[in-house]
Amino acid sequence: MAGTPVAGAPAQAPPSYALALAQLCDSALPTGAFSHSFGLERHLARGLVHDEASFTDWLVQFIRIQLCHSDGFAIRLVVEAADAAELYRVDRMLAAATLPRQVRRAAATMGARMLQIAATVCPGPELDGYAAQVAAGHCAGHPAVPFAIVGRSLGVPLPELLAGYLFATVTQLTQNAIRGIPIGQNAGQRVLRAVHPEVAGAVMRIQTLAPEDFGVSAPGLEIAQMQHERQRARMFMS
Amino acid sequence: MTAPVDDRPAGAPSAGVLGATPDLAGELDLAIGVRGDRSIATAQFHQGALRVLRPHYLDDSGQVCYAVVNPGGGYLGGDRYRITVDVAAGARLLFTTQSATKVYRTPGSRAEQHVHVRLGPGSALESVPDQLIAYRDASYTQVTTVDMDPTASVVLAEVVTPGWAPDGGLFRYDEIRLRNEISVGGRLTVLDNLLLRPDAGLSGMCSLERYTHVGSLLVMDSRVDAALVDELHDLLGPMDPDGQLGLTLLDGPGVALRALANATEPLDAMIRAAVDLLRRRWHGQGPLNLRKY
Repeated sequence: MAGTPVAGAPAQAPPSYALALAQLCDSALPTGAFSHSFGLERHLARGLVHDEASFTDWLVQFIRIQLCHSDGFAIRLVVEAADAAELYRVDRMLAAATLPRQVRRAAATMGARMLQIAATVCPGPELDGYAAQVAAGHCAGHPAVPFAIVGRSLGVPLPELLAGYLFATVTQLTQNAIRGIPIGQNAGQRVLRAVHPEVAGAVMRIQTLAPEDFGVSAPGLEIAQMQHERQRARMFMS
Repeated sequence: MTAPVDDRPAGAPSAGVLGATPDLAGELDLAIGVRGDRSIATAQFHQGALRVLRPHYLDDSGQVCYAVVNPGGGYLGGDRYRITVDVAAGARLLFTTQSATKVYRTPGSRAEQHVHVRLGPGSALESVPDQLIAYRDASYTQVTTVDMDPTASVVLAEVVTPGWAPDGGLFRYDEIRLRNEISVGGRLTVLDNLLLRPDAGLSGMCSLERYTHVGSLLVMDSRVDAALVDELHDLLGPMDPDGQLGLTLLDGPGVALRALANATEPLDAMIRAAVDLLRRRWHGQGPLNLRKY
């Protein structure tokens, strides 16, 4: 009968971090992600991304290049940071590795929003220290950093933390593609399901990256992100 | 383009064999200072398969030009090279190569070049090498670290082209990594970590797209602003045959250029036009004319 506990099996609470993580990984989190395409809009304008299949191709490359070597690697480095100075260094590396101006600005804007939300969800001294560095202009701000600080303070296992961030980002980009290409909502869900192995693979790869792999980029993605600055008709800010 | 596959003469000593130390195939140290109204080398050291030709002055600006030579003819798997360039306060160096840098097959391994640059107050480095040609099965890593004073100026150009494979096709190198780390006044400002893998993804989406040649230019100089980036865009845009030119303003400030094409010439032309504009604007110099000796 519903609601009747099984004899001998105590009710289980979710892991202490589960709800905080779910809140921060909400694809509708108000960080402003809906207004950033990270170069996708340039590939749309050139006709290189025009349907479900070509968008899946773009998304796979974005995961393998940028999400893996910048955002994802940064989350791992924040979790592994020995002290505050190392943590702030990750912020510096992220800003230095982002050459296209619009993407740097997107990171700073979304980073400020994520910092605010993170402080609401899970306030703590590490987050306060980082916020002070951003306010003083010593740190540039990037959503991966406050996200990882929260994950670290709650003890979220790294693979789960990475999977959450990557999949939330991929979901936001897919929602933007649904509006921008456009493709249907069902097509969007098929794309998201199709990239499960890519996200899982990225989570594995991030754990094995070496320091020289930080910020790896590829010319086609960077050129699209740079050209977007001069694109005439735009739905997105990057 | 007529570069044959692996055109080293049979039996030629490999760069690695020439290396006097077991670790490095070649080493080069070059320190530039100012004497009178000219920049000159104040210290110089080389070992193994790297040396420089005697200095040249291409104009009356006092900027000294050094060209690097690799007597081994090209880079092979396991080869590691080290170059250190120190440009003292007020000195200006134009750094180039005698000919294209060739990376041959590096099966199961890779060739590496590590370049360390220190730039004193008011100094300037222009690095305008010949193209980097990577042949079939080649893997190459080039790491350049620049530690510059906020009043110094740096220009780093690079063009990467694939060598021809035996079947006449291109795209056969395995992987090229070009990493530039620029610190201004001790603060990491640019971490440019370009990865080129011709085989990544069937469509090449976001990578080399459908192109074969890559051009890159990084400039860090306090005189760069958004208006200069616009000016460069207006100048270079019409020279870009494939609509694959990207330009952006960097914090620092600086400017980054990225371009793709199916030949070396348009990339060279765009990079040279940008370099020439900066030389004229900042130093009153004429267009770069690198005679090869």
